[in-house]
Amino acid sequence: MGRLRKLRAVAATALAGGIAATLTGGAAALASPSAKSVVHASSSAPFVIADTSSVQKLDPDVITNFLDFQALGLIYDTLVQENAKLQLVPDLATSWSFSDGNKVLTFQLRKGVKFDDGSTFTSRDVVASMKRVVAPKTGDASASFVASVRSVVPEGPYKVKFVLSHPDVSILEGLTSVNLAMLPAKAIANGSIAKHPDGTGPFKFSSWSPGNSFVMKANPAYWGGKPTLSTVKIETIPSEQSIASALQANSVQLGLLTEPQVANHLPSAYKVQKVLSLSYRALMLQDRTGPLANVNARRAIACATNRKQILGASVFGQGVVVGPVPLGPFASKPVSSLCPTQDLAMAKSFLKKAGMVNGFSFTAITSTDLDPTSAAQAVAMQSQLAQVGIHMNIQNLAGDAYIQDWLKGNFQAAFAENGANPDPYVMYGRYFGAGANLGVPAGYSSAALQKLLLQGDEAASTANQAKIWAALSANLTNNAVWIWLFDAFNYAALAPSVHGFSISPVTGTSLQALRSTTVS
Amino acid sequence: MLLGIVRRMLSMALTLFGVSVVIFVVLRLLPGNAVTASLGVSAGLLTHAQLAALNHFYGVGQPAIEQFFSWLGSTLSGNLGVSLASREPVSTLVGQPLLVTLELAAVAMVLGVLIGVGFGMVGAIRPGRWPDDVGQGVSVVGLAIPSFVIGTGLVTFLSSTFHYFPSSQGYVSFLQDPWLNLQQIFFPALTLSLGIGAAIMRTTRAAVLEVSGLNFTRTARGKGVSTQALVWRHLFLNALVPIVTMSGIQLGYLLGGTVIVEQIFVLPGLGRLLVSSINNRDFPVVQSVTLIFATGFVVVNMLVDVLYTIIDPRTRSR
Repeated sequence: MGRLRKLRAVAATALAGGIAATLTGGAAALASPSAKSVVHASSSAPFVIADTSSVQKLDPDVITNFLDFQALGLIYDTLVQENAKLQLVPDLATSWSFSDGNKVLTFQLRKGVKFDDGSTFTSRDVVASMKRVVAPKTGDASASFVASVRSVVPEGPYKVKFVLSHPDVSILEGLTSVNLAMLPAKAIANGSIAKHPDGTGPFKFSSWSPGNSFVMKANPAYWGGKPTLSTVKIETIPSEQSIASALQANSVQLGLLTEPQVANHLPSAYKVQKVLSLSYRALMLQDRTGPLANVNARRAIACATNRKQILGASVFGQGVVVGPVPLGPFASKPVSSLCPTQDLAMAKSFLKKAGMVNGFSFTAITSTDLDPTSAAQAVAMQSQLAQVGIHMNIQNLAGDAYIQDWLKGNFQAAFAENGANPDPYVMYGRYFGAGANLGVPAGYSSAALQKLLLQGDEAASTANQAKIWAALSANLTNNAVWIWLFDAFNYAALAPSVHGFSISPVTGTSLQALRSTTVS
Repeated sequence: MLLGIVRRMLSMALTLFGVSVVIFVVLRLLPGNAVTASLGVSAGLLTHAQLAALNHFYGVGQPAIEQFFSWLGSTLSGNLGVSLASREPVSTLVGQPLLVTLELAAVAMVLGVLIGVGFGMVGAIRPGRWPDDVGQGVSVVGLAIPSFVIGTGLVTFLSSTFHYFPSSQGYVSFLQDPWLNLQQIFFPALTLSLGIGAAIMRTTRAAVLEVSGLNFTRTARGKGVSTQALVWRHLFLNALVPIVTMSGIQLGYLLGGTVIVEQIFVLPGLGRLLVSSINNRDFPVVQSVTLIFATGFVVVNMLVDVLYTIIDPRTRSR
């Protein structure tokens, strides 16, 4: 009797499983990518991009969210932009030149460019756009990139002159930011920018459902030629695992991922492109009080740190160990002029020089809200430092608590993910330059650093710049100002049907390849 | 009975006022504000003039009491305010997600009750037999495994095996496409219903088993009442009060419990809106959504109280 009951149970379970499989299988047939339907580039079916974030704002001058830059970077153009090799190339300015000892920057503007509202792009729009950027009520965080601009003077409809307060070569790099995009003077005047994007880029704004989706249509009047995709939809899928699932269900064509464990476990039919992110991880140190005020104590931390191991522990080795300038033509080589790899003997000798033979203690803050990998970085580093008697306490904070403490410099050490830029002045002028906005969280200042930054900003030749920026990297690492750790990969996972797309490391133009992407 | 309902409604209003005060205070205790939530560490790049202009724009620094009564007054008059992040009216932002969450909660509740009452009744009528064993197994799974694990497992299994993940196509309402809408809601509802069903199943099984041992059941059986009538008219009806209580509690929790499941199944419901609004320190949206959840919980509790008086006339005099 007992056996009969068990048999019945097995049979019932199998039946239930069968019904479920039939139901799901039936539905699967409807959704299977192996179905013979073909979506052509010219069809109205949207090309769907999935990201865990959502487009949060429509005003390019005030955006700070990475996805906002990517989305609005397809609608707006800037005067100059960076290509995939992080070199400056023309965008709405066809050429530029410095004069008067690098204190005047003149742009020749592209002709025949139309905004989405049909108006023609001229120098009047450049003047209006720059005026809006620097107006306090706009709240543009990138206004500091053009702090040297004293005035913007039109010289005819297709020529404009930036008069600078001091020689500032790095301004060109700053002008690549979508925060400094060219907006139509008319829309600025009537205040419609924050509600309805109106740019000159390859795509036009179509609709926005806050927190859910952002839809763009191909711009037929785009000066670079009409894009092949007719509609691009950015869909918010809050979990990366769900993005991978949506790709496999063929409802998403491009998934933007950051988690290597998700990207690397997609079936081989899905092409996964990886690119170094334009941000780097570092342990920021405050040198004002306590043991970290001693340069040799900081050097001991630098030498006891095994960056490769931290990279492995926090992002499964999916990235590269970097120095202060993580990428671009001036990337730090070697990554550190002091202990490029872990050297425990050297760490102990620095502790001796610091008069702290038995080591010391300090506290580092992390925020897994802001950087989910920061806890793993901290734990790995904690065990490395313990080998030489340095005790690092870890305090994990909620996102906003971390931001508040960070801005006030209210920490001894902070695991941070900071924005990177190929131009070291753009990266570090804000931290270590004279009167730097972020001098407090930077926790370190020196006349030598300020001088190097100024020289690099004013240097006319690339060779000269390279020399100065190498000296900057050496200065930062020799003094163990911070401990630079690594730069992780970002991933673009593509459905098998997508062709002609390659992701760029540049934030504002990382999706520019959509202009020539096709779906079969 | 009418007096009882009026008394309960007054108590409900008082509870909601208390909830609104707690929400307001807790949100203000969180570090940060709309400016830092919006700009992150880039807020440090702003000049003093820029910061002052943004603080004014977001209403940062206004006296808390003034903010509270201004929000409460507007809410009572039906104006939920404007989102700090998107500058859209909160009522617009909340409207569609509310419908999604209500639909999800309703379908999950129906499935949960079917699973819970079904297995509970079968298990209680024939304890120790195989359907009881299956029911117990389902309840252990439902109670022991968190919904985010079940949801993630289900999504991964369906998408990798059958290339099937209907809710990733973008949510469509029942009126737009009933078949697709049901597919989009069914799996998240199933995920939620396992936990609900487990709790209801245990309550149903215990309550029916208790009633089946009472004298009147034996008498009914002795009088030759048919099995169907005995089960549904005598056992089930007399065990209904704890079942309704448990279902009511589960429905209340369900409204808040949709948060994680909506994230996994890509449903644009209130839970997802709440999470993104908390991250953005979008106080008007967070306050309104939390108040909606609290109202749902309180209303469900009141309905359960009213149901008691219908199910068990003895409670009417209390």
